[in-house]
Amino acid sequence: MSTLIVIDQPPYGTWAGREALDMAFSLAAFDQPVALLFTGAGVNWLRKLQETSEVEQKSVEKNLSAAPIFGVEAMYADAAACVRYRLTLEDMVAGVVMSESSSDLLNQYKHTAFAG
Amino acid sequence: MTDCVIPARNNEGFLENASDWTPEAATAIAAADDIKLNEKHWEIIKFLRLFYKEHDMPPPSNRLFVKSVKEALGEERGNSIYLMQLFPGTPAKTACRIAGLPRPTNCL
Amino acid sequence: MTPIHTLHILNKAPEHPRSVACMGALMPGDALLLTENAVLALAAQCSTLAGIRVYALAPDVAARGLGQCTGEAALVDYPAMVDLTAQAQNVISW
Repeated sequence: MSTLIVIDQPPYGTWAGREALDMAFSLAAFDQPVALLFTGAGVNWLRKLQETSEVEQKSVEKNLSAAPIFGVEAMYADAAACVRYRLTLEDMVAGVVMSESSSDLLNQYKHTAFAG
Repeated sequence: MTDCVIPARNNEGFLENASDWTPEAATAIAAADDIKLNEKHWEIIKFLRLFYKEHDMPPPSNRLFVKSVKEALGEERGNSIYLMQLFPGTPAKTACRIAGLPRPTNCL
Repeated sequence: MTPIHTLHILNKAPEHPRSVACMGALMPGDALLLTENAVLALAAQCSTLAGIRVYALAPDVAARGLGQCTGEAALVDYPAMVDLTAQAQNVISW
């Protein structure tokens, strides 16, 4: 069963996104097909050069870079949300795919779960 | 004797301060678990420490530990029997403890 | 420096209803201090705020990789944030 985990909340403010990421990693651990979609303020997870030492939190940018290693099949970024937050593929971590129509994407997965 | 070089650890045997880690501390922590470190152990320890530096976390579970080792070092090392022989118990947990990393989140 | 009438301290992302309410409440002479997820407003396409001084908390900007997007906003550290609250006649924490 393929699962799409949707993160629509910004990084760092709450735990919801991290829990969703954890869920994605757990599915990948058991070789279940899983992908991540970042939309709304959630696209900010993907921005490069996050420097978190002063806020004493783990960098979600670095955490996310482990996703392909763990077997997460894809990381999508909603194109409209990227425009809103002035993010281009160049500004984002490696391996991100732009999703021009996130509703089409949702239809491709058996199960979709939103963070939080 | 080895005890005296082990820095402060929590109730699960993980270092209280990551910065206390040294290769000597790793040797002592391993010895306390009856593990004598050889170059096979060190290869995995170095891999784990690099992984932590890059990803700001250890592999969060044993399965993902095995997967990550396989991805980086190949099938011969990235399998649970090999890692279990080097790091008995729950390999991810044992290896992280010796490598001076936090406990993998999903290893009970 | 002209005194701040009201200092609006906002820690909500631009999507949050409270952020929208805060933006609507800004008056000339006020200052806006962005902290936590509110610093994402620096990257978002927001309407420009005429006559409002905008500040952003530097550690939160750095954490989100927004160092290149600060535009007109002035980065402040924690002591400067305290100074701002002391300068303002009123403070609203949104």
